[in-house]
Amino acid sequence: MEDDTRPELSSQSKANGFPAGKVFFSGIAGLALAVFINSSALLADAERLPDGRSRSLSVAVWTPIEAIASTLKLTWPRTATDFLLGRSEDKEHISLHREQMASASESETEERLVLSIEEEQFLEVHPDEDPTEILDSAWNSDNPFTIWVLGDSMVQFFGETFVMMAERSSSVSAIAEPKLASGLSRPDYFDWPTRISEVMAAHDPDAVILMFGGNDAQNIRTDDGRWLKRFGAQWEEEYRRRIAVVMDLAAANQERVVLWVGQPPMREEGFDSRMQQLNDLYRAEADERQGVHYLDLRSLFTDDSGNYARYLPNSSEKLVDVRLTDGVHLSHWGGEWLSKFLLNEIKKSPDLEELWNQ
Amino acid sequence: MFGSSLFFYGWWNWRFVFLLLWAIASNWYAGAQIDKYLLVGSKKSATKWLRTAIVGDLVLLGVFKYYDFFAVELSNLLGSRTAIPLLELTLPVGISFFTFQAMSYVIDTHRRLIKPMPILDFAVYLSFFPQLVAGPIVRASEMAPQISQRPDPRQVASGEAFQLILRGLFKKVVISSWLASAIVDDVFANPESHSSQDVLLGVYGYAIQIYADFSGYTDIAIGVALLLGFRFPTNFDRPYSALSLREFWKRWHITLSSWLRDYLYIPLGGNRGKNADTYRNLLITMILGGLWHGSTWNFVIWGAIHGVALVVERLLPNWQIHPVVRWIATFHIVCFAWIFFRAESFSSAMDVLQAIVTSPGPTELADVLLILILAAMLTAQFIPKFRSEDFKQWLNSRGILTQGLAFGVGLVLIDIFGPEGVAPFIYFQF
Repeated sequence: MEDDTRPELSSQSKANGFPAGKVFFSGIAGLALAVFINSSALLADAERLPDGRSRSLSVAVWTPIEAIASTLKLTWPRTATDFLLGRSEDKEHISLHREQMASASESETEERLVLSIEEEQFLEVHPDEDPTEILDSAWNSDNPFTIWVLGDSMVQFFGETFVMMAERSSSVSAIAEPKLASGLSRPDYFDWPTRISEVMAAHDPDAVILMFGGNDAQNIRTDDGRWLKRFGAQWEEEYRRRIAVVMDLAAANQERVVLWVGQPPMREEGFDSRMQQLNDLYRAEADERQGVHYLDLRSLFTDDSGNYARYLPNSSEKLVDVRLTDGVHLSHWGGEWLSKFLLNEIKKSPDLEELWNQ
Repeated sequence: MFGSSLFFYGWWNWRFVFLLLWAIASNWYAGAQIDKYLLVGSKKSATKWLRTAIVGDLVLLGVFKYYDFFAVELSNLLGSRTAIPLLELTLPVGISFFTFQAMSYVIDTHRRLIKPMPILDFAVYLSFFPQLVAGPIVRASEMAPQISQRPDPRQVASGEAFQLILRGLFKKVVISSWLASAIVDDVFANPESHSSQDVLLGVYGYAIQIYADFSGYTDIAIGVALLLGFRFPTNFDRPYSALSLREFWKRWHITLSSWLRDYLYIPLGGNRGKNADTYRNLLITMILGGLWHGSTWNFVIWGAIHGVALVVERLLPNWQIHPVVRWIATFHIVCFAWIFFRAESFSSAMDVLQAIVTSPGPTELADVLLILILAAMLTAQFIPKFRSEDFKQWLNSRGILTQGLAFGVGLVLIDIFGPEGVAPFIYFQF
């Protein structure tokens, strides 16, 4: 700190320089090589973009490049390396339709068949299974009450805190599984219904917490390739159907506690309005089902005037920041608030309060 | 170049382009006034303009970065949560960097170390896109000659530039992102559920992650600037090889530490007074350096830990301590401070510390790859500079087409080995 030496320039060595024009074309050649070798991945990324001009332009650019690269066999180094690293592109079928769910096959390493809704419902009413057994279960460390928290990046910011709080009871086991940038609008990016059916089939959790929506206010592509305009009548019908699929999967076991967490208020007005529109759909679908409880976060994360607030008073009347600077995600404190709120909701179910008193 | 830089900045949020333009216009004008009054011998007026410019820059920084922090603390102190209204503004990316550069410009003009720059040159200097959002903090004295002389288009250091960009991308995309997802994020999110070994590995992992992240960005920035014919100062020089905190700060974020030294520590009196004054100056400098990173108490504590450690180093008798012991002590003090830097709150930092001490048990997160990466990154800190430049020399000696193709292959390899979804650069938030 006390020395008077200035930081030296990054390298004083005389570079073996080339004329700018040659460097420019050499850089372009390098980038072109990278683009052609990576073209399959770039096209896949473009196809995952939200519908709109950016996506159309990206797909229009990468499609011919990928076609040329594939024809010239330039994509094989990338494909082979991905294969060796176990990163082959997942070609699972999108399973948002009940008919399709029934035909879903093996996935992941769970060594279980993906259960369709029908199969889950069949299991639920299977005559050999006595549902009262579940009711009478005494949860303990060997047979813990299991909670799964599934959703998009919002879960990333409170999931681990929730797990920590929930597991303060040795009779509770909790798992948070966030998938960034995911939702129900784009199963081509991440297929939540399939994942949820896998989790339900393989782990049969006692409680499930679901939180989606942050990435869902975008156009939806149907199975026949049509794009449905965001918040249009057809879009709403399709999106509600997707919500219904997920809710039915999670609530197939009637003993399971299923909490659907609505989106909190957002700083940006337009985004907030879109999230509230989605919340209305979640609430409407949850109201139609006995086993799903919709949780509104608006009152939890607004100030006295009912507006978005980054700082809110805690129980000691001290202001704490509950939101991140992006105006969307929850901060550490916000995550704690939501986790406590969710645990309290779970405790409202009969006999569950005792779990955290053991 | 100026237009490109504004486009680059405006791509993130066009409204803040006006903020950047204001910083350019106000500081350039203040610099011109300072020079004008110094030329006519009116140092008093020049100093008045200097103060005005610095206050203006600090107000800019204060409003966007610190106002809410102090308003909340004051509200909590007064016990009335509606006493002070909050602004809740979005923090403009890079504001800490360009305001510090602007301040160095007016101060150096006042010190007669540099001459005022033409408005367009100054605009390019303050907005230059490779270092606009996360440094390095380049002094006007380093950039002004390069801008005014125009880079020689016949001699572009392409080999060195490609090597720096690839190295930076590798550190960021592969090392930093992988460490974050493999152990660091998990450990810091939920330290109580991990064993002491895992938490300790998570802390070591973060030390490597933040180095790979920030020095990676710097490498990319220096490489891109080189392609445009500009040479930035070195910002990192194998910091984890330091045998003392004093040495660490000569190797870590060098452009910030030298800025703090020249524009804060020395004006405070530096080490020219009594020992007690030197210690006070060190503490103030490091605490404000911590606060520069962000408006939370954790950053203040991080700075204070470094300040106290620097003071303790000066207080210690001049014993002959084995270098290995000194290295271990230095590295662990730095890691201890990183806990506060990374944790989301003071209580989270305490949870991490508590877990290190009170959670015995086997490791669940460590595997051979993690240990190898941590060991390799630490070992790389001790590789002499000339050895680490072999790839650069090799690339430099190749033909231009080979350089370009090597660059392309390198990009593909980085994309292959990088995890899906790369987190934003840590230093973008500062």
